Amino acid sequence: MKKYNSLKLLLAGLILITAACDTKIDAPTLSKGSADFTKYIAVGNSLTSGYADGGLYLDGQLNSFPSIIAKQMKLVGGGAFNQSLFDDAHSNGSGYLSLGGFNPNGTPILNQVTDKLAYRDAMGHFIKFTGDIENLGIPGMRLDLGAAAPTFSALNPYFERLLPDAQVGNTTYLNFIAGRSHTFFSFWLGNNDVLGWATNGGVVNNDPTKALTSKANFTNLYSAFIGTLTAQGQKGVVATIPDVTAIPYFNTVTVSAINAGLKANPQTANYSLVINALNPATGLHSPRLATSADLIILTFNTASIGVNGYGLSPLNPIKDEQVLDKDEVAIAKDYVNSYNTSIKTIAAAKGLAVFDAYAFLNQFKGAGISVDGVAASSSYISGNVFSLDGVHLTPFGYAIAANGFINSINSTYGSTIPTVNTADYRFVKFP
Amino acid sequence: MIKKLLLAACIAMPATIFAQGFQVNLQGQKQIGMAGAGAGTAMDGATLFFNPGAMVMLKENQINLGVSPLLFKSAFLKAGSNQVEHNKNEVAPPFEAYAVFGPKSGKIKFGIGAYTPFGGLVNWGNQWSGKYSLISLNLKAIYIQPTISVKLTDNIGLGAGFVYNHGSVNLQRAIPITKPDGSDSKATLDGSGEGYGWNAGIYFKTLSGVTIGIVHRSKVDTKLNNGDATFDVPTALQAGFPTKFNSSLPLPATTSLGFGFYPSQKTTIAFDANWVHWSVYKNLEFDYDNNARVADTKSPRNYSDGASLKLGINQQQTDKLALRAGVGYAFTPVKDGYVTPEAPDANRLILSAGLGYNFTSKFNLDLSFLYEGIESRKQTNLESNLSGTFKTNVYIPGIGLSYKF
Repeated sequence: MKKYNSLKLLLAGLILITAACDTKIDAPTLSKGSADFTKYIAVGNSLTSGYADGGLYLDGQLNSFPSIIAKQMKLVGGGAFNQSLFDDAHSNGSGYLSLGGFNPNGTPILNQVTDKLAYRDAMGHFIKFTGDIENLGIPGMRLDLGAAAPTFSALNPYFERLLPDAQVGNTTYLNFIAGRSHTFFSFWLGNNDVLGWATNGGVVNNDPTKALTSKANFTNLYSAFIGTLTAQGQKGVVATIPDVTAIPYFNTVTVSAINAGLKANPQTANYSLVINALNPATGLHSPRLATSADLIILTFNTASIGVNGYGLSPLNPIKDEQVLDKDEVAIAKDYVNSYNTSIKTIAAAKGLAVFDAYAFLNQFKGAGISVDGVAASSSYISGNVFSLDGVHLTPFGYAIAANGFINSINSTYGSTIPTVNTADYRFVKFP
Repeated sequence: MIKKLLLAACIAMPATIFAQGFQVNLQGQKQIGMAGAGAGTAMDGATLFFNPGAMVMLKENQINLGVSPLLFKSAFLKAGSNQVEHNKNEVAPPFEAYAVFGPKSGKIKFGIGAYTPFGGLVNWGNQWSGKYSLISLNLKAIYIQPTISVKLTDNIGLGAGFVYNHGSVNLQRAIPITKPDGSDSKATLDGSGEGYGWNAGIYFKTLSGVTIGIVHRSKVDTKLNNGDATFDVPTALQAGFPTKFNSSLPLPATTSLGFGFYPSQKTTIAFDANWVHWSVYKNLEFDYDNNARVADTKSPRNYSDGASLKLGINQQQTDKLALRAGVGYAFTPVKDGYVTPEAPDANRLILSAGLGYNFTSKFNLDLSFLYEGIESRKQTNLESNLSGTFKTNVYIPGIGLSYKF
């Protein structure tokens, strides 16, 4: 049966040969198009820094959208991209929220991470970071304070962390980002010019980080920043400002759920939630019953309702800071729309790519969409896009945003930066 | 009073199971060498499968055994990406075994066969871009078919067999819930079940010498009851996940019309047209024993029917050596928007070659090699939005032994 043995060998050989030759699909040719990604800098606020779960920490930084974009840019000639990373001994940075489990009623238990923090004193100052950075995102940064308030460099600990002592209190963010000899930039700033106000229920209280930047001022300051970033004719991508109602911070604790809870309790069955709402005619606040158009903030403690009658009568409405009422929502929407019109106009004049973050986040509203089999929505925790603070994104959320940026860059500059595999990025961590 | 966290939304469970890709047309080594055509000819014991009506026309009693190690090599390029991803090299082992016997008179023949008409083995790994649609699928259907075939006249044979199916499925999929270590959760569905059906055919020898076969293999609804559902999820969520599932595998019917032409004593040409009734496959449903976190699922599939055309030639080169070749084309039942990593299906081209060698008048060896080139197909799945290009090649060497008595 010698012949039979050789036939068996032939069969085995065929299997090996076919196993070795992989099925081929031609991948697209990679090109930088008309842009130059040699030195990419990222300018912006917490979203640019990789802030997540109510804090800035190493894992969030490593998954920041600019770092994801930069990694992909390297495939078409991009250069080094450094971030102000916390080191391993201080990897939890500012500290952040972690999910500890669920209460019997299904509400999440959030814990504050307090080990491996990066503070150098008890006043909330961070250990200084020195070294080259291309990610210039500063949590809390605003257009108005960034353009014209040198004192903000001392007041904002994330900014202070990056500055030599001599510059602290003496430089603006606009100065900080200038003169970096970049060839390409991303610019996503202006969110806090409305979000700071909105997340505080539309209450300013003389706090400049809670102020609403006027529409005219926004346009001027935006032009100033873009003027600085394009001083040598550099190309870049800018992003619009998301709708405040697109984020879980405003759509998780709902008036209807609170009222249903009141009704279910015999002691409060005849009561409904009362808020202190803006009267747009007078500009003054007065108490009224809450409706589903009023947005309660995520951090509102629902257990406080009814304690000494809190929130149940016109004499004792819930605090103005805890609700963005219907007319304040309208103001926020109006400002966001105006800001975005300015952004698109200024970007068009300079030929810049625009990532429409407003449209991007709106697609996750309600039931949301499926992203490669992942249910992605603006639902808190289960929506997979937003981190535990209900404002900032999960690594997965930042990855799909990064792909949105990449697609905008590609369509504007004719480049073919490949998008990233979003399935490589995690969601909210469960215990 | 915060909205209850409903996790069900992120765990809509599994997608497609079957497609053309899971119909395995490897039921006889001689026929494989002829691109799988065999409804209109009486080559060997595999006629039990191809056309029970032709079985009675076999001259000898015989036993046929064969195996066709199958390599399903698929590639995926996600839209916008430059990374081509491949499934893992794993060999699926479709096999066939037939025994055909009857009295010397030749008026009647009995047979029993075991074969694997449906199956699939595809493993993309747990790191690829479509892992939330599928990590791996291992599907097996083993049909056992006792059969009787009678000669109505010297030129007409009728045959029918009862089909018992033992089916099993192991499906693994990543779940988008992050565990404390940052890794994915995972679902594994593992179950087996039984189904019943039939296979009947009629075979004519026409005056012109052309032979004709008409065959229908029925749908086999295979119920999977009490399968194991294993959800590897964070401990905070474990309570409320199901541990058992029920489902059913609707293995479709096939109707075939086959012809045999005999231009010379030594040459047989076979041509088959097959109609696969995939349109019965409307939905894929999974019923779980605990719906606290995962809802029962009913995923629309909406397949159309599939079809294939196959042409093969057998040339008896010498008394001992036969050479075979074939070509075929199959039309996919999977509509646009329903292509999945389990069945990255498209129309396919089939090419085959084979040889047979008679060591003695009783003992015969057959070798075959079948190639299926599944056309490149760029798709966005309607359910998952997974978007990209699939391209698959299937390589199937085969070996079979026959003993006549």
